[in-house]
Amino acid sequence: MNIIGPDLLVFGVDNVDDCTLFVTDYGLEGRGNGRFEALDGTGLLILPKGDPSLPSALDTGTTLRKTIYGCGDAQTLDAIEAELKKDREVKRLEDGSLETVDDLGFTLGFQVSTRRALALPAEMVNAPGASAKRPVNSIGIEKDARPRPRSLSHVVYFVPDYARAEAFYRDRLGFITTDRFHNTGPFMRPAGTDDHHTLFFIQTPPHMKGIEHFTFHMGGPSDVMQAGTNMVNKGYQSFWGPGRHLFGSNWFWYFKSPFGCNMEFDADMDLHDDSWVAREAPPGADTSQAFLLQYREKWAPMGGPPPGK
Amino acid sequence: MEARRVLCHLDDLEDDSTRGFDPDGQGRDTLFVVRKRGRVFAYRDECPHYRGTTTLPWRKDGYLDSSAEFIVCAAHGAKFEIETGLCVHGPCLGESLPTVSLSISQDGKVIVEC
Ligand code: FES
Ligand SMILES: [Fe+2]
Repeated sequence: MNIIGPDLLVFGVDNVDDCTLFVTDYGLEGRGNGRFEALDGTGLLILPKGDPSLPSALDTGTTLRKTIYGCGDAQTLDAIEAELKKDREVKRLEDGSLETVDDLGFTLGFQVSTRRALALPAEMVNAPGASAKRPVNSIGIEKDARPRPRSLSHVVYFVPDYARAEAFYRDRLGFITTDRFHNTGPFMRPAGTDDHHTLFFIQTPPHMKGIEHFTFHMGGPSDVMQAGTNMVNKGYQSFWGPGRHLFGSNWFWYFKSPFGCNMEFDADMDLHDDSWVAREAPPGADTSQAFLLQYREKWAPMGGPPPGK
Repeated sequence: MEARRVLCHLDDLEDDSTRGFDPDGQGRDTLFVVRKRGRVFAYRDECPHYRGTTTLPWRKDGYLDSSAEFIVCAAHGAKFEIETGLCVHGPCLGESLPTVSLSISQDGKVIVEC
């Protein structure tokens, strides 16, 4: 099935103003009516939690109400509808999209993807011996840059039964497991993308079921560092990072958010095709990152000997 | 070693508000106080979800939910009772925020021992 990845995450929150401020500072662009977009048009819909248009909340009260996947074509929608109608209700909404519920209770939407094709260079680096490099006289970094998120990347759910979740997305929607943490959960990509993952599950007790984090792809590691630094300078609080994951190789920096889940910046994720064989590792600090750094205020070793010498 | 430290004056704390403090100059807030209906409570800024290795707010002083009814951890939405620090919703259900012993001097100084 030609599912590309998440187009839109729909949230029901009790603090719309805080969330609006947060995602605007994160770099998404407000489009009105609670919609915020990355450069390619993927994004978030932020509504007050009592809004009647929202699908019902999980009983854990998680703020994520719906994950809407973008599909490559209308035939994929028809195929999803036919497959899922075998054992559950699948609604056709007015806009032509599908709405249903997965085996864990998360509300899903499917639409012909509305994302725009981007034509932007990745961050370019100069390295001895490498031919592809930044053009001569082209500057690598600007102090006041405000790098913008490019595309909705992935969403991570806490689930009480990762095997059941994995089976649903694999057997019913054609997702592929790229790697897994033992007894914790799989990283999965739908067949319409080569990104290492657009979905990851973490096994937890049932009372935690809900969203753990979501993230947008940035243009490269410097974008992640600079966008994160901009967040810190605005008073937002880092949760984890910056660093670089092992599974997926993506650079990461997670921030706590008023959504009651973490919001990440990521960049430079591995791409895979069907020849890839999923790896497995025990979960833990050593297997989840190649390195982990921590922000500190700007400082410089400047000047001569200590005062008075 | 425990030390008595004056954090602020009672008048600096509005009702239904919280404030983080960095008494050891660590470059980040390590404890916070909540004022609710005239009473003041103090806790370490350490979420029990990951055994105290992470802090709660999404921005400086952002420790309460929008109705100022609960202390919240922004990372995964845990809710804690303001009066007891007990987690009543979320990952660390049944566990508690570490308390900080607090007293108010006769002239209104907010003093913690930590
Ligand atoms: S770290 Fe506080 S709820 Fe998860
Ligand atoms: Fe992530």
